[in-house]
Amino acid sequence: MEKEKISELRGLMKTRLNRPMRYYLDLCTRCGLCYDTCHVYQGIPKKEYSPVGRSEVVRRLFKKHFRLSGRLFPYWGDAAALDDAVMDDVYEAAFSCTGCRRCMVHCPFGIDIPHILSMAKLMLIGNGTAPEELVMLADMAVEKGESVEVFRDGFKENIRNLEKDVQQRLGLASSEGLIPMEKKGANILYVGLSGAHSIVHPAVIFNRAGENWTLSFFEGVNFGAFAGDPVKMDLIAKRIINEATELGVKEVVMVECGTAYRILKFLTGEHPFRVSSIVEVIHRYISEGKIKVRGGAISEPLTYHDPCQLGRNGGIFDEPREILAILALDYREMSPTREYNWCCGGGGGLVALDNEQFRIKSGKIKKDQIAATGAKIVVSACENCITQLGTIQTGYGLDVQVRSLTELVSENLDI
Amino acid sequence: MADDIKVDVTMDLKGMKCPMPVVKVSQQIKKMAVNQVLVAETTDPGAQADFPSWARSSGNEIIKTETEGGVSKFYIKKLK
Repeated sequence: MEKEKISELRGLMKTRLNRPMRYYLDLCTRCGLCYDTCHVYQGIPKKEYSPVGRSEVVRRLFKKHFRLSGRLFPYWGDAAALDDAVMDDVYEAAFSCTGCRRCMVHCPFGIDIPHILSMAKLMLIGNGTAPEELVMLADMAVEKGESVEVFRDGFKENIRNLEKDVQQRLGLASSEGLIPMEKKGANILYVGLSGAHSIVHPAVIFNRAGENWTLSFFEGVNFGAFAGDPVKMDLIAKRIINEATELGVKEVVMVECGTAYRILKFLTGEHPFRVSSIVEVIHRYISEGKIKVRGGAISEPLTYHDPCQLGRNGGIFDEPREILAILALDYREMSPTREYNWCCGGGGGLVALDNEQFRIKSGKIKKDQIAATGAKIVVSACENCITQLGTIQTGYGLDVQVRSLTELVSENLDI
Repeated sequence: MADDIKVDVTMDLKGMKCPMPVVKVSQQIKKMAVNQVLVAETTDPGAQADFPSWARSSGNEIIKTETEGGVSKFYIKKLK
């Protein structure tokens, strides 16, 4: 590796060396308690797939390049210099982690290993070796923010087609205005994904609740965050922030996507609007009597998978359970659950990468957890999780259906 | 109609979840030669925004778009 590149990567590391990062890097005693808390290590029991195994890759670089002891006596402190082989280890560490933070809740010191790995991801961006799929998707999302005029009419035409589906589901005479767009002063800006299901089902619910809402031109998911590029993450988030601000909405409601929710809610500063997940909004509508779901509509045993970014990292645990308590006759909780729930293995952008066998192996503990409930339906509220649960279901031949919470509600509205 | 366009590869991406349609097309186009044409068939409403933005950011060109019965077809020419 050339000196200039080493200097550039060292510079990038330095930008991340704030107090929490130094605290985490200095404090880890390598006790190893985190080994068994990681779903990847459970499926592939190798040190490099343990939380501490990943953070050690970064910590060794930190010692070599930012500590006098590591610079003078690298063998003492297990310090490692930046080179191409080390950058391969950095890649493996960063993109074998879903950022679920299950290790963090078990760590005696509360060390946030995904935070440490954010430094690894930034170095990969600087080195030009970040996953090309994620970089490509982030570039596409940034471009989308700069060229709304190019796709505005085509997108709106497709949305008009979706309105007919919403009309049928609601049994209405006309489809006009069922998915409003560019509506100034609406209460809610709803941000979906590319797929029709992420728009149609929420639209059914919003219409049934009599909500004054409008649909965003953009998708909620933030591939800049998955890639670990803070500049693109901000640009992608700002598309939605600017749209919401220009329309003057009171609330931005995020599709079933844990990362989309967490970034806008917690990682982009204060906004002149409230940020909610669609799960919270459905729960609110039911609580306020704006919508009713058919009680006991689902008789098959059913369980719920907490998306890590919505549950452990977002605090949304009770709302989905209270909705499912109405819908399901036989609700079964996984064990462990809530903040101790096992990650499915799909987060961190991993479902967009060409790594299906890795994800099947790392999903083994989730497969065992679902199978132990005896449930025939597993529900979640995150597109990444639903995709990965489908991969686990197929990979292990698990006898379950994977369903989205929003879809279940939409299909079981008491209309 | 697109009878005048020679299509080299057609990809059925209908019903795929986000972000797989764009990921699959991006992977496929890397295997193709410059000036070859790929047709992506998708039912995602968001594809109307995704594919033009992807083409602009990746240096490829959408030479034609057709939409019929909820299915959109993007004719993508590899430029580099």
